[in-house]
Amino acid sequence: MKILIIEDEKELANDIATYLSDEDYLCESVSTFNEALDKIELYSYDCILLDLMLPGGDGLQILETLKQQHKQDGVIIISAKNAIEDKIRGLQIGADDYLAKPFHHSELAARIHSVIRRKQFDNANVIEQNELKVDLLSKTVKVNCTLVELTKTEFGLLLLFLGNKNRVISKSALAEHLSGDIADMFDNHDFVYAHVKNLKKKLTFAGYNNYLKTVYGTGYKWEI
Amino acid sequence: MNKLLNKPFKVFSLYALIILACSIPVYYLVISNLWIEELDEYNLIIKERIKNRFDKIQIEETELNKTLALWKILQPGTSIIPSNISTVKADSVYTITKQNEYAEGNEMDRFRGLSSYIVINDTPYHFIIETNVEDAEGIISSIAFVTLLFFILLIVGFVFLNKIIAGKIWSPFKDTLAKLKLFDLNSHPSILFEKTDILEFEELNNALTKLIHGNIAVYKQQKNFTENASHELQTPIAVLKSKVDMLLQNESISHKQLEIINSINIHLSRVSRINKNLLLLSKIENHHFTESETLDLNELLNENIELLSDYFKEKGIIIEKKINEKHLIVCNKTLLEIMLNNLLINAIRHNILNGKIIITLNNNTLSISNSGITTLNKETIFKRFAVSSSETTGSGLGLAIVKEIGSRYQWQITYSFQNNLHIFSIIF
Repeated sequence: MKILIIEDEKELANDIATYLSDEDYLCESVSTFNEALDKIELYSYDCILLDLMLPGGDGLQILETLKQQHKQDGVIIISAKNAIEDKIRGLQIGADDYLAKPFHHSELAARIHSVIRRKQFDNANVIEQNELKVDLLSKTVKVNCTLVELTKTEFGLLLLFLGNKNRVISKSALAEHLSGDIADMFDNHDFVYAHVKNLKKKLTFAGYNNYLKTVYGTGYKWEI
Repeated sequence: MNKLLNKPFKVFSLYALIILACSIPVYYLVISNLWIEELDEYNLIIKERIKNRFDKIQIEETELNKTLALWKILQPGTSIIPSNISTVKADSVYTITKQNEYAEGNEMDRFRGLSSYIVINDTPYHFIIETNVEDAEGIISSIAFVTLLFFILLIVGFVFLNKIIAGKIWSPFKDTLAKLKLFDLNSHPSILFEKTDILEFEELNNALTKLIHGNIAVYKQQKNFTENASHELQTPIAVLKSKVDMLLQNESISHKQLEIINSINIHLSRVSRINKNLLLLSKIENHHFTESETLDLNELLNENIELLSDYFKEKGIIIEKKINEKHLIVCNKTLLEIMLNNLLINAIRHNILNGKIIITLNNNTLSISNSGITTLNKETIFKRFAVSSSETTGSGLGLAIVKEIGSRYQWQITYSFQNNLHIFSIIF
């Protein structure tokens, strides 16, 4: 998948690129308005990460240009602005998602995964990974045709893992994915352990290939 | 405190009273002296006339005595008696008080007399004429009466003029005063004072305008400063978080290093949280979040509680929510959610293990109570950073934000501690 990162903070862009890059994702990054315009005119991407505050212009204009040219690239707005008005406007013009800085990389990856899935597979409702079949509509998981009933929380965690293959996800990133901004308010995220443990137990019982690994002292990793 | 114009009014009235009071004896003396002078002149004229007539006519002795006897009877005010002094003395005037035969009552009247010597038929005669002076009391009382009348006229005039002047002269001042009273640094753009033709008030208005403009500029700067500062901090914080995330991906980290990284993460989260809250607080103060919609309080509470369910379970907290029906409120959704969120999070954070949270709604008052040990300080809890950072994991801004949202919609937020429960109430 081709990802274009439009972000003027070069360090951040590099980090995102490093995190996302593997056999699945190919990342490019630009840091100014004009560079961004050039890129989108010449190429198409599966997902574009768009920062609104760019030197040389307003990020929303790039979004508008994309829509005017009827391009199908998925767009996720990443912005420090965090203003409701910007969010609404962005989504109205046609962005697929909005993520406010600062965010966990894993969260970003999950969102990218979600957007691409919607665009690429025409909103396909099933994610397949080897023996796992995840049905997004019924929120059920099948391991080799064995149905695994997961709670809403466990299901959310599974999706996060599937969107962040081979990446270490910290406990706080997991907590944040589950409870949003509130997770920030607490330091104790031990409940995350409980949920992950339950998820692991259920999947193991159904016979999956043990992708979910614990990383000592930090979090978890979905190893493929 | 007195009205300004009452002060000169009092002084002027007192001054008028003193002057007019002094005028009474002065008038009396002046009039009295004038009157007496007139009488002296009159007496003198009479005497001269009589003297001249006597000089002109030739009258013989017996005739003269008869005439004089008759004269005595007819003109009691005058008397001509033979003088027993051989030489002619000079004229003299005097005043005498004696009973007035022809006045009613037994009052003593004043008489002005002239004592003179005239010669008739070569014989000196003592000529006395005494004329009635109008009594002193009469003069004084008349003068006093008229003066009093004038004094009253003055006072009435003062009061009346005072009112008219107060109305006209002070109206630009009152206008300025009214505008100042209405001025609110937070909401008013600026004050435009009306032009006036009174020098002092024009100067006052100009000085005030300058002062207010200065104040508004500084205030705006300060308001924006917090918002701008925390906004600036967002990006470096994002970069830091990103770097820490990257570190975690590294497989060759030792356990000790992991501990350090985790510690960094915790404090970084804290910084990020404080910054986000500061930004939120300044945005609320700067009147963002203007849209309103009709919301169901009960529904929002339920959503919030579910979102926090993991945290409740972790501390073993039991929630008693005693609200079952809808309760509609019109306000901004984000703000209401944040407010409820902050209150519930506090209720968890400052709760005891296996404690409880009680939520009730009575008569437009929402109460969120949680188990606690000792009371908090009512005065300071709603202030920013009231609790030091070492005592809590919170940002120190949660309740300040709640208070700010409350004051935006004029909801009253109160705190009390009863039966080992911290009780926060919002009166909508």
